Amino acid sequence: MKLHVSPPAFRGRLHDPRTATSIGRWLGVAFAVCFVTGLISHFMQHPPGWLADDIPSRPVWGYRLTQGLHVASGIAAIPLLLAKLWTVYPRLFAWPPLRSVKHALERLSVGVLVAGAVFELATGLLNTAQWYPWPFSFVPVHYAVAWIVFGALALHVAVKAPEIGAHWSRRSPGTLALPVEDGPDRRSLLAAVGAAVGAVTLTTVGQSFTPLKDFLLFAPRDPDKGPQSLPVNRTAAAAGVGRIADEAYRLVVAGPRSYTLTLDELRALPQHEVELPIACVEGWSKSARWGGVRVVDLLERAGAPAHARVRVVSLQLRGGYRVSEMGHEHARDPLTLLALRLNGEELDPDHGYPARLIAPDRPGVLQTKWVGRLEVTT
Amino acid sequence: MKALRVLVGTAGVALMAVGASLLTDVRDPTDVLVWLGGAALLHDLVLAPVVLLVGLVLVRGGSRGPVRGALLVAGALTAVALPVLLRPGRTANPSVLPLDYPRNWLISLVAVATVTALWAAARGFARRRRRPGR
Repeated sequence: MKLHVSPPAFRGRLHDPRTATSIGRWLGVAFAVCFVTGLISHFMQHPPGWLADDIPSRPVWGYRLTQGLHVASGIAAIPLLLAKLWTVYPRLFAWPPLRSVKHALERLSVGVLVAGAVFELATGLLNTAQWYPWPFSFVPVHYAVAWIVFGALALHVAVKAPEIGAHWSRRSPGTLALPVEDGPDRRSLLAAVGAAVGAVTLTTVGQSFTPLKDFLLFAPRDPDKGPQSLPVNRTAAAAGVGRIADEAYRLVVAGPRSYTLTLDELRALPQHEVELPIACVEGWSKSARWGGVRVVDLLERAGAPAHARVRVVSLQLRGGYRVSEMGHEHARDPLTLLALRLNGEELDPDHGYPARLIAPDRPGVLQTKWVGRLEVTT
Repeated sequence: MKALRVLVGTAGVALMAVGASLLTDVRDPTDVLVWLGGAALLHDLVLAPVVLLVGLVLVRGGSRGPVRGALLVAGALTAVALPVLLRPGRTANPSVLPLDYPRNWLISLVAVATVTALWAAARGFARRRRRPGR
């Protein structure tokens, strides 16, 4: 008996180019925002040499906005991607599967786009929940695949440009050639996709856009939950520092005129208060009132030159990001503090007691806690 | 127009090459390829067929519009909630995953059902008023 395999037939409605164009352009916008904000985050966390001295310290809410947008646009892209893939799914079974070399290359690029897009949204979402079921390191892989996905997306738009143009509006020639009776059904589907985007955004975006925090249902962080009503990533116990004894603490400022301060001496220096957000790379952020000593004052006393870079070294014994670096823009910003107080109280050990860095427009992982040493590195 | 298409397409291939070269720096790129392929297979062989099957049942049952919309919104909410609902093991500290996610998931489903029912009822009411005497 001969086994006869035939591709499945799709008689359902709305698997058409107009629906794909309508959803696809919103998905394209979401991916573009996600890619650009992701690049910004990557360069702020791992600045290449040519950029290291030019990262601006203003606006103070810069990283809060871009990283909040990165996570929000990624989450909004989830229903858009699933709806888009549903629309074009019958094309997976196009017959014959390969017509020419050009057709084969096009299908290959779409395959890469689909695999990469699902991969990026899934790994990004799992990362916000700090769930790492894969064997590789998240950051470099999420970063590399982002370039592949965005490149494949640009190629896809270029290949499909005539079809996109023919179905751009309700009056476009391609749209008019489609069955008229599908119109209301399509609008109903698009409204539902829009509602889904709104729903997933409303239930998660409060983790960074705090006016909407009362609607938080599925965010992995609540901006009000944590020691001193502020979330924490690495606790004092996890960092191996515990509560640092006041009399044992020393701050070393190493520069042309190095010096060492006790905690009492640090507290006796002129204190300043600033309102600055802490914005985590995983997407949550919250503004708080910080009090402490200006880093620029500490640097001046050490005789640091105006364009000096600063290395901030933590007393933590375990975990990454023990050392962070600052260009002169951040180091000289009057809002950059070696903070001793949070919302009028002493820092909780989990927030870096006795002293932590807080600087404007800077990723949370670089706001070094339990600071024991500032090094002027020119 | 043709030139612009070629330009955008070439730029796309160049960006893909950047990504591929970044991937070769990763310690074990084969693991990444397995997960990339797995992502496509998971969608194409599991997720999409299940959604199409639900759609088929829906159309056979004569319902599109509001019911389809409600399922779509509930499905999207569930997809976004899966990591916080299912993450195994202890979290790094109590401020990670601090909410009662199973309860929140049920709340969201009830909210979707309620909004859909109210909306369908309001639409039916409006339709009856527009055609009095029928």
